[in-house]
Amino acid sequence: MSTSDNKETAQESTQVEAKPEDKPEDKPKDKPKENLPVFEKSLTDKIQKKFGDKTEIAYVKSNRTRVNVKKEDVVKAAQFIREMGFDHAESVSGVDYPESKEIEVVYHLGSYGDPTLAKQILVLATRATREDDPKPGNDSTKLPSLRDVFYSVEFHERECFEMLGVFFEGHPDNRRLLLPEDWADIPPLRKDFGNKGR
Amino acid sequence: MSVIAPKFRLGYFLKGIIDNALWIIVLVTLIVVPLIQVLLIYINLPVVDGELLTPFLAFTLIFHPELAVPLVEAIIRSDLFRIAAFPGFGFAALMAAAVIFVERKMLAKLQLRVGPFYCGKIEGIFQLIADGIKLVSKEIIIPDKADKPIFWVAPLLFVGAAAAFVALIPVAPGGEEFDNMPWVVADLDVGLIAVFAVIGFFPIITVLSAWSSNSKYPFIGGIRALHQMVSFEIPLILSLLGVVILTGTLNLNEIVQSQTSFPWILFLPVGAIVFFVAMLAELERIPFDLPEAESEIVAGWLTEFSGMMYGLVQLGSYVKLYAFAALFVTIFLAGYNGPSIYPDFPQDIIDDGIIIPGMTGPLLTVKPFTDGTAVLDQEMINGLIWFVLKTAAVIFFILLIRGVFPRVRIDMLLHIGWYKLIGLAFVNIFIALGLLYSGILAPVGAF
Amino acid sequence: MSKQLTPKSSEKQSTESSKNLPPGLQLENVDDRIMTLNVGPQHPGSGHMRLIIKVDGDYIVNCDPDPGYVHRGEEKMAEYRNYITNIPHLERPVIHDSCNILYPYCLGIEELVGIEVPERAKYLRVIAAELNRCVYTQYWLAIYGIFLGHSTMFMWPAGDRELLIDLLEKMSGARVTHAYFVPGGIRNDVPANFEDVCLRQVNYFEKRIKEYAGIFYDNPILIARTKDTGVLSREDAIRLGTTGSVLRASGVDFDIRKKEPYDVYDELDVHSNVMKAGDSYARSKIPWLDMLESCNIIRQALEKMPKSGGVRTKLKPNPKGGDDEVYRRVESGRGSLGMHIVSDKKPQPYRLKISVGSFRNLIAMPYLLKGEKLGNMPAVYWSLNYWPVEADR
Repeated sequence: MSTSDNKETAQESTQVEAKPEDKPEDKPKDKPKENLPVFEKSLTDKIQKKFGDKTEIAYVKSNRTRVNVKKEDVVKAAQFIREMGFDHAESVSGVDYPESKEIEVVYHLGSYGDPTLAKQILVLATRATREDDPKPGNDSTKLPSLRDVFYSVEFHERECFEMLGVFFEGHPDNRRLLLPEDWADIPPLRKDFGNKGR
Repeated sequence: MSVIAPKFRLGYFLKGIIDNALWIIVLVTLIVVPLIQVLLIYINLPVVDGELLTPFLAFTLIFHPELAVPLVEAIIRSDLFRIAAFPGFGFAALMAAAVIFVERKMLAKLQLRVGPFYCGKIEGIFQLIADGIKLVSKEIIIPDKADKPIFWVAPLLFVGAAAAFVALIPVAPGGEEFDNMPWVVADLDVGLIAVFAVIGFFPIITVLSAWSSNSKYPFIGGIRALHQMVSFEIPLILSLLGVVILTGTLNLNEIVQSQTSFPWILFLPVGAIVFFVAMLAELERIPFDLPEAESEIVAGWLTEFSGMMYGLVQLGSYVKLYAFAALFVTIFLAGYNGPSIYPDFPQDIIDDGIIIPGMTGPLLTVKPFTDGTAVLDQEMINGLIWFVLKTAAVIFFILLIRGVFPRVRIDMLLHIGWYKLIGLAFVNIFIALGLLYSGILAPVGAF
Repeated sequence: MSKQLTPKSSEKQSTESSKNLPPGLQLENVDDRIMTLNVGPQHPGSGHMRLIIKVDGDYIVNCDPDPGYVHRGEEKMAEYRNYITNIPHLERPVIHDSCNILYPYCLGIEELVGIEVPERAKYLRVIAAELNRCVYTQYWLAIYGIFLGHSTMFMWPAGDRELLIDLLEKMSGARVTHAYFVPGGIRNDVPANFEDVCLRQVNYFEKRIKEYAGIFYDNPILIARTKDTGVLSREDAIRLGTTGSVLRASGVDFDIRKKEPYDVYDELDVHSNVMKAGDSYARSKIPWLDMLESCNIIRQALEKMPKSGGVRTKLKPNPKGGDDEVYRRVESGRGSLGMHIVSDKKPQPYRLKISVGSFRNLIAMPYLLKGEKLGNMPAVYWSLNYWPVEADR
């Protein structure tokens, strides 16, 4: 999961998670005709049909599917996913990968309106390049904001902005939310920021 | 716990005793004896065994206590007793203290807790005394920028106004020797208007104490208290006018006398309800306690009072509560009237009354019209018991509401006061006029 | 002077007059009519968070929530500790509801590491989670009473809550912050006569909370203060991504215990309560209805629970996941609580993201408070089931 390659990751991760998955009906590689993963597969097939090479399907697990897109296409992908029936974001988390010099923002999207999609969470992930040595206050890591597509990400993106230093273009209010006003250090969830004493 | 000082010297001990004795003698001679002499000017000295009871004779009462009875009787017949003790301030303060204790206990039982428990052997009955002693011992802090004369005087004014209110309520019927004057401090022919005048004082005192505190939260609380009290004064006054129309008098005692067969609440229930709600708002009790204990302003207009000033304000508050409840009982619930429940006296007391040697007449008679002058009579005791029972019932309802309702919002409060209650009060007046002009009820002597 | 980290590109008013300001500061016009109030962290009418409210007379013009006063860096701390050592500090965001915060964490790690939890442990987990939900809801109701000025509404829930805290103390040893759930089951089994005691106390508790209907929910002043205030329509509730009782009070039937059942919820009969009104009254009533529902669930779970068996699958020391990520969610007292765990073959999680119901409902607060009367602010604000400590993590 820490690498950013394409199709091998899909097969690797399905192999890896054959072990932790205990649910008997979920052996996607061996029995592709099972019910549950087929439904998720249908979702990811729809996305891949529309966007083709621009997206890669990271994994298809029971009730969880993941789509990696590049940051130029994330708004269009989000709009398409919204039309598929997902209408809100459960959470937005940012993960820092300093070795590959990228910060990944992961949107977990769920659906309240569509009962067939109630269990599903579609994970939409984009990456942005980060600088080697983060300086407080520069906004070099930029990503387009999904607030116009999913209104519910507004406060989550603010928190991601202050914790990881990702500037969301198009977000009306990039301000800090949880950190104190006089925080003058690098964004705390970056791996460069070390807790004192550890 | 006291420990005998380690360095005990007999000389110092004797010196201490002599010092105390000297101070006592000086104070008694210079202050207490002249005070007694001045006081005795206002109390009619009775005649004992054909001899006028002079102060020197009074000192012999230490050895002959039965000679003190005429003095006590004279005190009871005097005006000072009426003002300070029985229907006046002492009685009201006692009732207020009982109300505070009952409120805390009752609210606790409603809320599944215990309330005051440790002070006093049974169920914390001495809690109030403990609180009073604590308040007396606390320092009175005056804010630096406060308007000091008004700030000092405001709690006293509050208690004074509450006591003035208490002075107008008839508590028990009086006997022959009082010229049928009831046990009330001030029997005025315009008693009800005097009540309105005193009620009108309370918003002024609240705003004075809030303004003189010179601080933000009392200011907000005082303005809110002003809004609340002023907007509920009008329905308060209007709701009482129905009874005035039907009785034709403003004298509170005559209003009570007019209810010997029925209480006015039967004919004017709407007025009673309006008065009850407006009373809750004037008292700043839940559900109308916006000025005081809201979770937005710290304690409202009494934030800056500390120590005994706070104690005085609380005392005034609860005396006001007793006085309003007593007013409700007087006007709507037939005051001190009620069937005779005091048990019958044995026959010799009915004939002669309770005689205490030394008194000019019997202490207690059964018949109000008797040729001996008596201090009490059975009607008076009966009336007092009924009055206390009814006031206790009204106070019980006021306290019960505290446990059940949350606080209203300010716009809801003003809406209730200016629209709904005034409307209902006018409906009440129309009902009263209807009853009057259709001939069902009439004031005494009208037809 | 410390520099603010608000970047220049996000300055709202970059007019000429603001060019003279030091970087990071904004120019704000002060209006004569509009007053800015800090319903601040130290205030008897707010939790531990600040609301910057602009008021025009009695009406709120703008509301800017400012959480973060209890931010302790849970997510950052989690990256430095092992999976098991993470448990005590992860339950601190909501101390009464601690089982529900640890629930998705334990479920996620069980999925990562690949172990199965014994049956008895699953039932006990469900019982502990429902007890926690009731405990939290009682506390929330009590504080709602304080906000509305109703002292009995504070005393009764706080008193009845003690019945359940007693039970939780028998189960886990602590009244709050139980640290009861571990990946693999629960920490220890319950005492021998627990089922009888639990049944009796839950029955009595249910009898007590049924009395709340008369005094609290039929109380005319409470109804007048909360009905039709802060109305959140169904579409808005979905669009804002709210969750939990706020969502169900606006007519959306979404309860994770029914939609995506975890542990043994698929074997129990769960009924989710939905009201259509969407106002503060509905939002204050749904948690109470949920409590009644929890009593039913606990009774069913006590019946169906296997009478003996292990309660913990032991993990190897220093459990590690693969190169994987999981996202598990659970219905807690405030709404859906999700945990996103990214692991990279080390005994510490690479990234742990907690998505709490309070934080997701926070967006409804400025949305609802605009245009409300100032007197309605406590009623609307607390009805959003917002727990400040949890939202700050």
